[in-house]
Amino acid sequence: MQAVKVRLAIAYAGLGAVALGVAVATQEFPPLRDWAPFAVVAFLTVYHAVEVNDHLTASPAAMIFLATAVAFGAGHAALGAAAISAVSPVTKSDIAERRVALSVINWGQTVVAAVLAGFVLEPFFPTGAWSQRDFPLVAVGAMLASMVYHLVNWGLVSLAVRIVYRKREVRPWSRMGSILRSTVVMGFVGGLLGATYHLVPVALPFIFALFGVGYLAFSSLSELREAQEATLRGFIKALEAKDLYTRGHTERVAYFSQLIAERMNYRGTRLERVRWAALIHDVGKLAVPRDLIRKRGRLEDGEYQQLQVHAHVVEDLLAEVEFLRPMVEIASGHHSRFDGGGYGGTGHAHGNPPSQEARILAVADAFDAMTSTRSYRVALSQEFAFQELRANAGTQFDPEVVEALVQSVVESGERYGSPNLGSEEAARLIAEGKGRP
Amino acid sequence: MLGIAFIGVGQSDSSLVAVSIAGVLIAGAALITVPASSGNRFSLALAAATAVPLLIGPIFDFGGAIGAVAVGFLSGWVVLQLFGSDEQTATADSDFLRQSFGAFLFAAFYVALEGAAGLWIGPAGANLVAAVAAALVWFAFETGAWAMTTYDRVSRRYLLRLAVEDWPVAFSLFAVGALFAYVLPELGWWAPVVALLPYSFAHIAFYRSHLARVTYSQTIRSLARIPEVAGLSPDGHSDRTADLSVAVATELGLNPHEVRMVEYAARLHDIGRITLNELNIIKVGFTDDDIARWGSEIISEAPFLTEVAALVRQQHDPYRRPGERKDPDLPIPSKIIKAASAYDHATSELGFSTLEALEVLHRGAAYDFDPDVVEGIRHIVMLGEPKS
Repeated sequence: MQAVKVRLAIAYAGLGAVALGVAVATQEFPPLRDWAPFAVVAFLTVYHAVEVNDHLTASPAAMIFLATAVAFGAGHAALGAAAISAVSPVTKSDIAERRVALSVINWGQTVVAAVLAGFVLEPFFPTGAWSQRDFPLVAVGAMLASMVYHLVNWGLVSLAVRIVYRKREVRPWSRMGSILRSTVVMGFVGGLLGATYHLVPVALPFIFALFGVGYLAFSSLSELREAQEATLRGFIKALEAKDLYTRGHTERVAYFSQLIAERMNYRGTRLERVRWAALIHDVGKLAVPRDLIRKRGRLEDGEYQQLQVHAHVVEDLLAEVEFLRPMVEIASGHHSRFDGGGYGGTGHAHGNPPSQEARILAVADAFDAMTSTRSYRVALSQEFAFQELRANAGTQFDPEVVEALVQSVVESGERYGSPNLGSEEAARLIAEGKGRP
Repeated sequence: MLGIAFIGVGQSDSSLVAVSIAGVLIAGAALITVPASSGNRFSLALAAATAVPLLIGPIFDFGGAIGAVAVGFLSGWVVLQLFGSDEQTATADSDFLRQSFGAFLFAAFYVALEGAAGLWIGPAGANLVAAVAAALVWFAFETGAWAMTTYDRVSRRYLLRLAVEDWPVAFSLFAVGALFAYVLPELGWWAPVVALLPYSFAHIAFYRSHLARVTYSQTIRSLARIPEVAGLSPDGHSDRTADLSVAVATELGLNPHEVRMVEYAARLHDIGRITLNELNIIKVGFTDDDIARWGSEIISEAPFLTEVAALVRQQHDPYRRPGERKDPDLPIPSKIIKAASAYDHATSELGFSTLEALEVLHRGAAYDFDPDVVEGIRHIVMLGEPKS
């Protein structure tokens, strides 16, 4: 894979160099006084790339490239964008992880995309002096150029991914809507900022400063979000570790839920929500007396109710965190049956069908429960678990969700549970020391 | 305020229309507020109030600028009372006074400094220099006035330090105001678009960070209460200990980051009690040090809380041992939590009065409780008591 990467890096670097060469041959270089500030800003933007959205990290750089191209104006646009993109090749994490080949590949594709976008912009520039009447045309041009930039960028990146990783499945079109929207907005903003530079150069420092301050806030935001997740995850892990039998259960259920949700085309916030719900789905047990959780054999009715009460107290506690409320709702609904029976959590009256998210969580939870060892029986086989889930599909479980789990587990090639334990009875006997594995 | 409005507009060289437009601009902008990290809310009216003197100022029209600011903030206050959200109207009165006087200061300093700077470096850069200098004065007034007028149990000095951390919000408001003023004459109707696009990026970032901060501390609070709802530690103990610890920490002059650590550690100091429902532990028994160790083990699983885990680990260590000096390695936050937790235990579970609980602390000041911390607690809890 390393050899492939190096070859690809050389090819992309060559492409980038050719694009840069074409730009140098056909256009004039703007004076350093104009060029340097943009170069500094572009470098910093790329270097400190922050997560603005779940999947939007690259676009602010594209906006700066476009602003530069417009600011340099007719006869300089392509070279301006190329030169700016050529001096801003690395992000902080690239350096931290020493990704040399990747950085070179990125450099090549960014330069090519920037040069093409610059040429697209050329016909939209006014012929004489700039005035505010030129703004609409330039903005439209910048939006077009932004689309070209992102299309070229995306094409070259997915080509590289396909060559290096040989990924079977690349589904970039599913998010095209949101990507297109942000692309157009970034192009519009970039175009306006560049055009403003022609009329009021002094405005530029203020604009960059505003973006800089917003950037700072966004990076502290992503740090906080990370801290939030790490904290919850760490606590659950630590508390779970006290119980031998459920150790790792939460992490596995979160993983299965994610597999199912991804197969069912969940993206962004919705996917995030399912994962979080899985992380907290068992948090209620933390408040339950240990001897009840560890009890061998089935619980009696009274004990079962006690378990529910304790679980709900903690769920109510977590529901006080506004951000977690939808996740708590999913988590507390995951014991409801697909056909409406069973007990629900807070806000789930008997007979209410659970949400699709809760149904995903229910299947993931049941699958892990069957394929891992519990206090009253050892782990069952994966095939048995599939069979059992399918047998109860339509009544306890959602058939669509069950199929999504089976397909994605089979496709991933991973195996869970014991190799060949096909009955609940045998598993119990082994756990009680009466049977043989 | 009305008087200032009349005199200002009367003295103005600008047309009444220009002044009214500026006023409307400020009033409308007052509806958009942005939460800063200290808890102070800034409004976009400050940005508009920055733009107004810059736009009317170049002809040295002090009266017009002041008049527009007065008209704008007055009507902004009315607008807020009518259309504002609950959060906005709650602090509308003090915000209105503080922000409008801040805006007067800005206008006054801007006009004066622009004149002075104009003589010195020429008119070209004068307005920029004057605007930046006036903005610094305005920010100093804003932070100071906010710290002085916000009532809380925490010390003024701490509030001031907290308010200074708001600089990104204040700066972005100033920058968007100045930006708008600079591009308006050249760009016309495009000016609001050019100014507000980059600002909205910053605004969303501030708003979301505020939400994330709130969510994070809520999450910590919920996790800290798990042993309480499970009946393993007294109800409300973690909240009360945290409140008292934070107040003492600010009283003792810790910086905002340290105070945050004190808050988290105080909330989570009893999380180790979650293990108390294990049968073998109930059989064998446990010590305070066990609780501290278990708690710190749980907390250290969260990578962002290693500092807090260390504080919780040391929550029961005495500040000095017989025949020795103060332990220099024992962090102040741990000492604060030890004393605050003991104080709450005395008042809430043993049913002691404030004075009796303080006596417990004073008697323990030989080895257990640091006298400085005890003094801090005494100061804080006596504030709430009627003087006798």
